[in-house]
Amino acid sequence: MKYALFVGCTTLSRLPGYEKSTRSIAKKLGIEFIDMPGSSCCGTTYMDGLEEITALALAARNICIAEELGLNIVTICNGCTEVLTKANKSLKDNAELRSKVNEVLLETGHQFKGTVEVKHIVRMLKEDYGINNLRKAVVKPYNGLRVGTHYGCHLLRPSDVMQFEDPNTPTAVDEIVESTGAISVVYPEKMECCGGPVMGIREAVTWSIGLSKVETVKKYADALITSCPFCYITYERSQMMTENNPNLPIVHLPQLIGLALGLTIDEVGLPLNKIDTGVLAMKQRE
Amino acid sequence: MGKDFRNLILNTPGAEKLMHCYQCGTCSSDCPVAKRVPEFRPRNIARLAIYGQRDRLLSGDLIWLCAGCYTCYERCPQQVHVSDIISTLRKIALLEGKIHPTIKNIVKVLPIYGYINEIGEFENEMREEDGLPQAPQPSTNEIAAIMKSTGILQKIGGGEY
Repeated sequence: MKYALFVGCTTLSRLPGYEKSTRSIAKKLGIEFIDMPGSSCCGTTYMDGLEEITALALAARNICIAEELGLNIVTICNGCTEVLTKANKSLKDNAELRSKVNEVLLETGHQFKGTVEVKHIVRMLKEDYGINNLRKAVVKPYNGLRVGTHYGCHLLRPSDVMQFEDPNTPTAVDEIVESTGAISVVYPEKMECCGGPVMGIREAVTWSIGLSKVETVKKYADALITSCPFCYITYERSQMMTENNPNLPIVHLPQLIGLALGLTIDEVGLPLNKIDTGVLAMKQRE
Repeated sequence: MGKDFRNLILNTPGAEKLMHCYQCGTCSSDCPVAKRVPEFRPRNIARLAIYGQRDRLLSGDLIWLCAGCYTCYERCPQQVHVSDIISTLRKIALLEGKIHPTIKNIVKVLPIYGYINEIGEFENEMREEDGLPQAPQPSTNEIAAIMKSTGILQKIGGGEY
């Protein structure tokens, strides 16, 4: 299995633990990730709301790089996933839009052809690698570790674009979590947004939304699992911004998977998390 | 006046179903931002759009407070999609030079860094220390060419490219 890896700005510059664990579990599972030369920001989730053609062209340029490599794209940021999936779908479905965007792309030397797929790592693990194969690769399963899963909006919504799982009752992340032996707990308001995109508009709103989920999950679980850099940052920082820090460990999904695959805490970058994640290793079978 | 602005909204992509809104409030009840910000109510934004209330919609940071979570999009029984109405209002705001400064800054740096922030020598040194490869070096000339071609930087008031 071979993919073009699209890491995304925020993980590249701020979350080495997420990127490191992603690369480490891929290696362990025999999945080859090729970096995309010349790739850039996806265009951000804001761009489509400002100017459609700019949004499509910026996203398409990145997709073209994967097309030229002849590889499907794996993403690890929900924002990038939505932006690239939406552009890929719109440009595949709409010939008029495609020719407009290809005209804008002329000067870049790239042309969108519509030959590749875009998948978030969660979707790739579920649909391509397979949950059963993941379960078979687990050598150090968790024992009694209770976690809350947070999907993040753009893995699922808008559902007519993402076409992945039911946006109200998804199961992929929970299935992945349970393949490691951890227990995915049921908790209220599980599908609520982290509030991350409002961080640059009114920060306090983001911390309030973030903290609310952290406090809920804290009642039911040992840790909260994310698979998007913005959700991770929101849940980690919202705790550090408050006086009574609940100290709920926030863990990137590939970090949780990695330990179960027998990787060390350094190989999955766990010491880089700002809230102590020692509970993970403590609740593993030897 | 109100009707003119309503027509402008209706003629901008994304707001085709605005007039189907029967004000049930499903969007507001499920909105994570509305739970914390009293003035941000998706139902009210739809109502103000129907009445073409330009000033109340475009002043302050109201339309920039949407988190884009698409919860209202999924649950609207009339497929009005207030999240799309808000995108429409942002497009109109952009034409009037009223883009939120945070978002303006993100757009402005894209042709310079290729990312939403600089990932240069210093950042790559840090990445190396963490055992990560160099970040892909974005073809900023290509990004600038795209943004010049669509004129987005002039629209946000970000100067020539």
